[in-house]
Amino acid sequence: MNRTSKVEFTVELVRIVTAVAIAYAVALITLFVISDDPVYIIQQFVLGPFSSPRRIGSIINLAIPFTFTGLCMCFMYAVNKFNLSGEGIFMISGCVISMVALKLGNSLPAPIAIAVLFVVGAGVGAIISGIPAIMEAKFKANIVVASLMLNNILVFLAIYLLKYKMRDNTIGFLGSLPLPEVIKFPAVFGKMRVQAGIFVAVIAVILVALLFYKMVFGYKMRVVGNNPQFAKASGINMMGTIIGAQLVGGAIAGMGGTVEILGNYDRFQWTASTQHGFDGLMVAVLARKNPLLVPVAALLLAYIRIGADVVNSKGDIPIEFITIIQGIVILMVAADEFMGGFKKKLIYKAAAEELAAKEKAAQKTA
Amino acid sequence: MFTLEWIGNFGFSVLRLSTPLIYAGLAAVISAKAGMMNMALEGMMLVAALAGVVVSGMTGNLWIGLAAAILFGVITGGVIAFASISGKTDLYLTCIATNLAAAGGTVFAMYLLTGEKATTSAAIRAYTIPSITIPVIDKIPVIGPMISGHNLLTYVAFFSIWAVWFFLKRTRLGLRLRAVGENPTAASSVGISVKNIGYISFLLSGVLCGLAGAFMSMGWVSFFMKGMINGRGYIGLSASNIASANPAGAGIVAVFFGFTDALATSLKSGSSFPSEFIEMIPYASTMLAVVVIGIIRTNKARKVAKGGH
Amino acid sequence: MAKEILRMENITKIYDNGFVANKDVTFWLHEGEILALAGENGAGKTTLMKVLFGLEKPQTGRVLLNGEDANIKNTLDAIGKGIGMVHQHFMQVPSLTVAENVLLGIEPMKNGLFDFDKAVEMTREVSEKYNFHVDPLARICDLSVGQKQKVEIMKVLIKGAKIIIMDEPTAVLTPQETDELFEQLLRLRDDGHSFIFISHKLEEVKRICSRITVLRRGHCLGSYDLSDMSEADISRLMVGRDVVLQFEKEDPTPGDPIVKVRDLVKINADGKRVLDGLSFNIRAGEVIGIAGVEGNGQSELSDVLSGMDGFASGTVELNGQSIEGKSVFEIRQQGMSLIPEDRMIHGAAGDMSICDNIISDRYFKPGYKKGMFINKKYIENIADEYIKEYQIACDNKKQAVRYLSGGNIQKVVVAREFTTGGNFIIANQPTRGIDVGAAELIRKAIVRKSREEGTATLLISADLNEVLGCSDKLFVMRKGKIVAVFPKASEVSEAELGEYMLGLKTMTEKEMEGLL
Repeated sequence: MNRTSKVEFTVELVRIVTAVAIAYAVALITLFVISDDPVYIIQQFVLGPFSSPRRIGSIINLAIPFTFTGLCMCFMYAVNKFNLSGEGIFMISGCVISMVALKLGNSLPAPIAIAVLFVVGAGVGAIISGIPAIMEAKFKANIVVASLMLNNILVFLAIYLLKYKMRDNTIGFLGSLPLPEVIKFPAVFGKMRVQAGIFVAVIAVILVALLFYKMVFGYKMRVVGNNPQFAKASGINMMGTIIGAQLVGGAIAGMGGTVEILGNYDRFQWTASTQHGFDGLMVAVLARKNPLLVPVAALLLAYIRIGADVVNSKGDIPIEFITIIQGIVILMVAADEFMGGFKKKLIYKAAAEELAAKEKAAQKTA
Repeated sequence: MFTLEWIGNFGFSVLRLSTPLIYAGLAAVISAKAGMMNMALEGMMLVAALAGVVVSGMTGNLWIGLAAAILFGVITGGVIAFASISGKTDLYLTCIATNLAAAGGTVFAMYLLTGEKATTSAAIRAYTIPSITIPVIDKIPVIGPMISGHNLLTYVAFFSIWAVWFFLKRTRLGLRLRAVGENPTAASSVGISVKNIGYISFLLSGVLCGLAGAFMSMGWVSFFMKGMINGRGYIGLSASNIASANPAGAGIVAVFFGFTDALATSLKSGSSFPSEFIEMIPYASTMLAVVVIGIIRTNKARKVAKGGH
Repeated sequence: MAKEILRMENITKIYDNGFVANKDVTFWLHEGEILALAGENGAGKTTLMKVLFGLEKPQTGRVLLNGEDANIKNTLDAIGKGIGMVHQHFMQVPSLTVAENVLLGIEPMKNGLFDFDKAVEMTREVSEKYNFHVDPLARICDLSVGQKQKVEIMKVLIKGAKIIIMDEPTAVLTPQETDELFEQLLRLRDDGHSFIFISHKLEEVKRICSRITVLRRGHCLGSYDLSDMSEADISRLMVGRDVVLQFEKEDPTPGDPIVKVRDLVKINADGKRVLDGLSFNIRAGEVIGIAGVEGNGQSELSDVLSGMDGFASGTVELNGQSIEGKSVFEIRQQGMSLIPEDRMIHGAAGDMSICDNIISDRYFKPGYKKGMFINKKYIENIADEYIKEYQIACDNKKQAVRYLSGGNIQKVVVAREFTTGGNFIIANQPTRGIDVGAAELIRKAIVRKSREEGTATLLISADLNEVLGCSDKLFVMRKGKIVAVFPKASEVSEAELGEYMLGLKTMTEKEMEGLL
């Protein structure tokens, strides 16, 4: 029996690695085919992200929002609800905390001001992710449609707030007044210039992992996600757990938006959706909804993105080709049948070996 | 403001904006009748919209472009069917992944072909599907300007409502498709392949999305633009959900959403109200409609349960 | 004797997991005959019929139709060769009309379109020919259950079936509908059709069948001519056990009633009274067994008592408090524990560890948690204890239960439910499909718990050995009612039990008075 579990683990690992490898290979082939100078471009794509400390720092900086939205999607995934509001939450939380930060100005000492902003960001996230969650639970609405419609609304809401509530008319582009210095995160790790939000991200990963695997709520969530019928027969409050998980997920996406603004921006200036919410879906799928693997998946995705960025700036390749690769990865990792035959073979083999071993032992005793 | 002329124009704009929603709604209806929720309408429409512009521009033939839009809609549908039916990937994830890939993929393809990243308007010669003036009717006041002079695909959209109904109701394939959607075991017990029907439903969905995409890039405007479907696929899906996958109902709900869209557009031009809130109207009304229909349905179910006692 | 139209010879079917469903079963059917196929659940009836209908491939044996090797490849092939099956769960599309359902898969066509008028005409023809009186234009969802079944038979007839398998056709019918069905079957028989009639109901078998073939544990016990047999003989064949297990237990010392059920009625979605006025008590320290052919309200009773489902009228009290409208959580707090019928659906979360599975009903109790955290150490110690006490074979306590054998998963469920601290246990099919050793351990645990801790136990089981051996008092349920009560289960003969289970006898209220 232990063999079966080992086989499943191995296959799972091999599957994910293979899926990523195939997608990466597709990316390389695409670059090779479409580029005028394929060798240079591929070299840039593969090694470019490591070519300077600054770039390595960019990978980490990009992995930070991915980590937050990936954690958010882990919660949605854990209770089997495709609540995609993380996308809109990331943006609107960034917007709302910018407003609050502008109101606060430099009036509060840094730790308190930052704490207030995190509470606001997380609160906004929780409230917003609750909307599709309740629409689904109470009114049987399709949660994907509800959350995506909501995302569209939030984009316009954020733009409205930016335009009418905090616009800086002295600058040449649409942006808010400059954010107060006191709340800005410093850059750390010397030349890599990683934003200090990395510490928040690390703490978030640890807390979420604790919540998932050590805390009572995480336990309930896992039972409900794993077998809702069993949860019901055990007397676990399903609706509460399902909605609760989504609220926590939303709060984490909201914190992601907060960290992004505090760490990387002097002003709030998003006028379009960041796509980080959807990136979070990919991260969660890759991490197999295990919060501890989320940073790994986030770094991997960030590496590929920065590679694409480098290529984009160096040559003739637009960054968007990465989304196709992303789609391929999600599909292959999620497809049950992908390498399913390989898995069955291994399981049969393990079962046969086990049987042979037993027979041998039986012969010996005889 | 509310002159007869304005009413005629407004009605025209409602029908025009309803067109892609009707196609999307019907595409969702076909999948829903086969027992699946097609959330990839958005991506399918986007791919078709680009294909139409590019192929018509390359071949210099409008109709080949239209055919290409449909073909690419169908191919995208086939990819989804393959992943979810043959590859046993979760249908939700498949559709979300398809939409993501289509959003980026169309920009990528556009860039490769034209060197542009936002729109093809400058790089590719525009072809538009002709508009049709209906003789006699166009002379009638109010109604004439409302229903005459639309793009051919708008008329096809309304015709499609009937066609989809006819297909589901009167053809053998339609009958089997409904049977599979409602009770797959019953269908397979009489030798109907559930798998094949699943594929067919996505391919047919693809045809309708192809028409929708073509309307967007070769009718509504005459170029492809990044992200130009803008949630219309999801709104169409909601139309189908709200109408319980009834083609005529989906058509009516789609026109209602078209109405809110037209309302938003006309408000934008005529008021000082922040345009952002007006832009929200189509999405907000979709959410509201979904909630209202949900309340009505749960109340009904509650009554039935009570009556059972 | 009429000619033999079907013969299944030496059929052996072993499933991939090693389960032997049929072993050397030989079986035949004459033209114009209605043959009863009987046996308990899991005896291999379904597998045998699946082989005949082309859904399963047997390892050995062959199927002969009219004396020739038929080599049935798949369902379509079986249908083509004149075999039809009326499934217990109707294979119908509710929103479509009768005509559309009847002709689904063989639709008549005209000009490339589905010819609805022709379909209606064809359906009407069949309906009139065999006196079905079903409106071809009606939608299935508007039909009564009896009419739906007629549609199911029409589907088979219109495809030209000569051999018709009927899987427990009367399970869902009212007595009137059953009468009507039997008339039709006899008419069809006289018309040259042959039937394989799967049933648990003795009176029905006696009424319309001429022969019975009995399966038990995959083996064929034989085929018997019903005209030579008394009802008692048939009952012995249909309900029987291979080995009488001796089960030693002390006499119970029942205390106060823990559970009081009065006039309990439950009506299902089809409007059928699945629980029809049940009244009984379960006292502390007593194991009440419920015997009965499956589908006579046992699962519904378990659902109602555990709060998984509601009920229409009557009262249920547990430890002095009503359970009406309460959630599973609240009823569990009141003292209920539940060993559910299907362990992988309601009993365990497959991907979660043994530790995780044993705390699903008590993770919120002090000791199991420390503040907001799960008290891992404490739980692991308890898991170790349970693993030892219930002899759960596993690699370690962190292994996902999915990797355990059925018997060991059930032990995990039992370990949890026996330690909830409640005083009322519902054990619904507690040993179904598990190995003998695990079953024995679980049965002993059920009895020990009632003796040592004074637990009130409701044991629902299709396994006669189990209900006769473990129960103190025994009820027989039929059609949602209690039809017999035996104050001492150990003194009941299985022949007698069978007669009540199959509806040959029913105790009067007077006889049962004071025993409930």
